[in-house]
Amino acid sequence: MLVGAFACAHTPQLLARPGTEDRDLVLRVHAAFARVKRRLAALRVDAIAIVAGDHVEAFFLDGVPALAVYVGTECAGAFGRYRYRFPIHEPLARAIVEQGVERGFDLFYTQAAPLDYAFYVPLHFTMPEAAVPIVPLHVNVYLPPQPTPRRCYDWGRALGEIIRAWPERVVLMASGGMSHFPGTDRYASPEFDYDRRLLDALKAGRGHELAAVTGEELDKMGNIELRTWATLLGAVGNARADVYCYEPSWHHGNAVVEWVP
Amino acid sequence: MSDLHYRFPPASAYRLNRCLFALKSDDDFRARFQKDAPAAIAAMGLDGEDAAALLGGDRDTLLARGAHPYLVFMADLRLKMEREPVSFEFF
Repeated sequence: MLVGAFACAHTPQLLARPGTEDRDLVLRVHAAFARVKRRLAALRVDAIAIVAGDHVEAFFLDGVPALAVYVGTECAGAFGRYRYRFPIHEPLARAIVEQGVERGFDLFYTQAAPLDYAFYVPLHFTMPEAAVPIVPLHVNVYLPPQPTPRRCYDWGRALGEIIRAWPERVVLMASGGMSHFPGTDRYASPEFDYDRRLLDALKAGRGHELAAVTGEELDKMGNIELRTWATLLGAVGNARADVYCYEPSWHHGNAVVEWVP
Repeated sequence: MSDLHYRFPPASAYRLNRCLFALKSDDDFRARFQKDAPAAIAAMGLDGEDAAALLGGDRDTLLARGAHPYLVFMADLRLKMEREPVSFEFF
């Protein structure tokens, strides 16, 4: 069963805040994460399938999968003083990779890869007190050529069907976005207007529009990570988005959003 | 396509990107780099202009040599986090 869907920002400055970051803004994003955490508890979730864009952590240039599923028993990651270890919902992970391949998606899978912060920053703030296993789902966002938004949307639609047919209560989470340009001249000038227009479309239940966006447009708008949202939108269709927060910092459009599938 | 912010990483920059990746993600390598940067990157097979670019730390020079912008950004942030840990608030 697909019982809920959320998109969460994951910028590491939310976890380790340098003096450059507005503390009140960071705390407002944390408050939105806390709402997600309460919702996950209320939804009595059995597993969280989390779609994130690897920040060249699990996969370097030795092997760059477009779409990948983590099918190990547990996964671990580290960032500075933070150490994370999450159990994997292996039966669900295996069902996703097997049924995904069956449906025509040539998925990469791994049983051992470091977990990127794109996965554990949202989970740090949203994992219910009674922790649940996860299924990490990778989408390549940083190493061109990335999968097209259309491909991500189609994969999400298949993923949604697989999860809906699963007997347990599963939440789908997309980690990433919104506009930011790390490592480029545009770092201090994200495309906040683009983010707001997109959020308006999602609030109006027009999620399918993200599938029609080109990869070039996502790059131009600092939104290469919205491939994870496109994946989620494939699963939830045109459900209306409930935007918990949109907090533009000096370098990043921080959004937390829920869809009721 | 050449005006993309994130471009295909040229194969000529593989070793440079591998060093940046190690600075970002490998605590042991980062420690060796902090102690003796030229020796650490030489041990990774980086030499010549790539080595000079990495030691110089100038972003535009690194990008011109094919370094991935995100790797340059996060390698720098991870080094800063270790050099100035008190300036972070941890949640």
